[in-house]
Amino acid sequence: MNVYHLDSPQRLYQHLAQDYQMYHVVESNGDSVWQKSTHNGVDYEKSDLKINRLPLMSPKSLFFSEQENLFYFDGECFRETLPQPEPFALFAVPSCDLHAIAYQDQFFSKDPYYQARRQQALLVGLDCLTPCSNGFCPTVNAGPGVSPDITDLTLHREATNLWMLIINNERGDNAIKTLALTTADKYSYRRRDQRIESCKKQFKHDEAITAGVAAINKNAVSDAEWQALAKRCLSCSGCTNVCPTCSCFATRDLDTEETDNPSGIVRQRIWDSCLYESFQREASQHNPSAEAGERVRRFWYHKFSNQFAAQFGRYGCIGCGRCEQTCPGTIGVHSVMHAIGDNSLGTNNVEKNSLGNNKKPTGIQGKQSLTYG
Amino acid sequence: MDSMTPLAAELLHYREDSADTRYFKIRLIAPNKMSAPQPGQFCMLSVPGHGEAAFTFATAPDKQGVFHILVRAIGELTYALFALKPGQRIGIRGPFGKAWPLAEIVDQQLLIIAGGCGLAPLNGLIDHLLKTHRKPQLTLVYGARTSAHQVLNSQRQRWNKQIPIFDVLEDGPDGGTPLSIMPNVIKSMVDKPEKILLCGPEAMMQISALYFLAQGFPATSIWAAIECRMHCAIGLCGHCYLEQQYACTDGPIYRWDQLQPLLRRSI
Repeated sequence: MNVYHLDSPQRLYQHLAQDYQMYHVVESNGDSVWQKSTHNGVDYEKSDLKINRLPLMSPKSLFFSEQENLFYFDGECFRETLPQPEPFALFAVPSCDLHAIAYQDQFFSKDPYYQARRQQALLVGLDCLTPCSNGFCPTVNAGPGVSPDITDLTLHREATNLWMLIINNERGDNAIKTLALTTADKYSYRRRDQRIESCKKQFKHDEAITAGVAAINKNAVSDAEWQALAKRCLSCSGCTNVCPTCSCFATRDLDTEETDNPSGIVRQRIWDSCLYESFQREASQHNPSAEAGERVRRFWYHKFSNQFAAQFGRYGCIGCGRCEQTCPGTIGVHSVMHAIGDNSLGTNNVEKNSLGNNKKPTGIQGKQSLTYG
Repeated sequence: MDSMTPLAAELLHYREDSADTRYFKIRLIAPNKMSAPQPGQFCMLSVPGHGEAAFTFATAPDKQGVFHILVRAIGELTYALFALKPGQRIGIRGPFGKAWPLAEIVDQQLLIIAGGCGLAPLNGLIDHLLKTHRKPQLTLVYGARTSAHQVLNSQRQRWNKQIPIFDVLEDGPDGGTPLSIMPNVIKSMVDKPEKILLCGPEAMMQISALYFLAQGFPATSIWAAIECRMHCAIGLCGHCYLEQQYACTDGPIYRWDQLQPLLRRSI
């Protein structure tokens, strides 16, 4: 691992833009979104990399497309249609989203469509130095500092006009080979750790998340309690769309008139949501998850069960809080964990919280960082 | 890499089976591209323009790539399949899923309980066992709604020359379910069953398993094949989840004791 000082991230951006199609976050009308650079890096001139507001959509769709063709049928044979992207770089990805990409890398390790994109991608991480509004990444071991195994390059702000660039692997090294940089000393790197630790301490207390996760894994939340929470689920798929680790999809066939492929019938895969009533419904109309409470329980079980964590080496939640931000029924991660965490401590707040009472649990003292098992 | 692109196949022929099922004969255009399925494994069948769904191999592809599936007309895809004419193209992916546990049931006193179309995943297994079992230690109990809904009639007639088969109909005189005739079935068996295989409606499998468990039969000697909605069959689309598992890759055939922790509801 090599560590350098960097005068401005813009210089790195413009350097990478020579070889990569660049993607970065832009602020627009109060929102922030991932956007493809259209002017070979020139449009990045004014960015100051202050990402205090996470984009509501993570870069998930750049690898696991919201809608993509799998193959077309030419009347005789089925022809696979793999994406063929040019090399591209995601610039200044926060740690939580990098953990989500690493999670998806495992899940889609044998998926040729995902891998066709992923193999072309360079990841430039960015250490977060101030907490974002709904985030709790330290609680789920997903930030705020970027760990070296989940990104090729890491950016770190040392001072107003001084940055640190950390090269984490060969791909990162190759990407900056011809960029003039000054080597940073070990003290600079230690000060990075201090800044990240300081940021961690600024996150709000997270006992509710810890207690909620414990309740899920103790199976301490009754069906009736899940059903009470599910009264607020509109089955809108907002949570599953914005969740950077959600990966469920459906398939559909489009005929020639419905697609731009003149060769024949196309099969697409499209994002699906386990919160939809029809998600598991079979052709016979038998539905194993007909109850909304069952579906809501399963969503959170998928994010926080030790059974899934054992498969992936971490929880399926990366602590971004986007579900809380987007859910119109206010049953995102903070609300749900408050409700079920309180209940596991013996105070039944599922119903109370379903009416908007956000009283925090008091039974667990001190911050706990969650690892699986 | 796990492709989701099917192999081309030709619908060769079909025959009417029960009131709402057909027995389709299909040929893979390039038979060498698919590995041989074991009894109980399934394929994903595509009707271009109408999607894809899971069907069990009733017979495995032979050297020419010819195999059979049993299909009930019940949704968009199967209606489209029933509308196809011999010679038309379809798509096949597979084989997928866990097979029946051949090594654990070979030469055992076997009781197979099937209901409705649930006989289809057992078709290949029964044929296989009749060829390889050292003794005719196989008893089949088959339930259906009415005689018009009984599937695989010609197969059952053929099997019945070698093994005892107990048919039961919901609208019949015996009261309707395999369970209602079970005491007589057990009485007729010279040796009591050592292993039990279940395939059919979930309620049927549940009450059958509970009947034997109540008598002290070990859950480790019962297997059930479950049915789930699937869109990929390779553990990615999420539709066939059972807790932390996916029925397409971890099932669809489960040993009873291993299935129970995965079920939030009783099946």
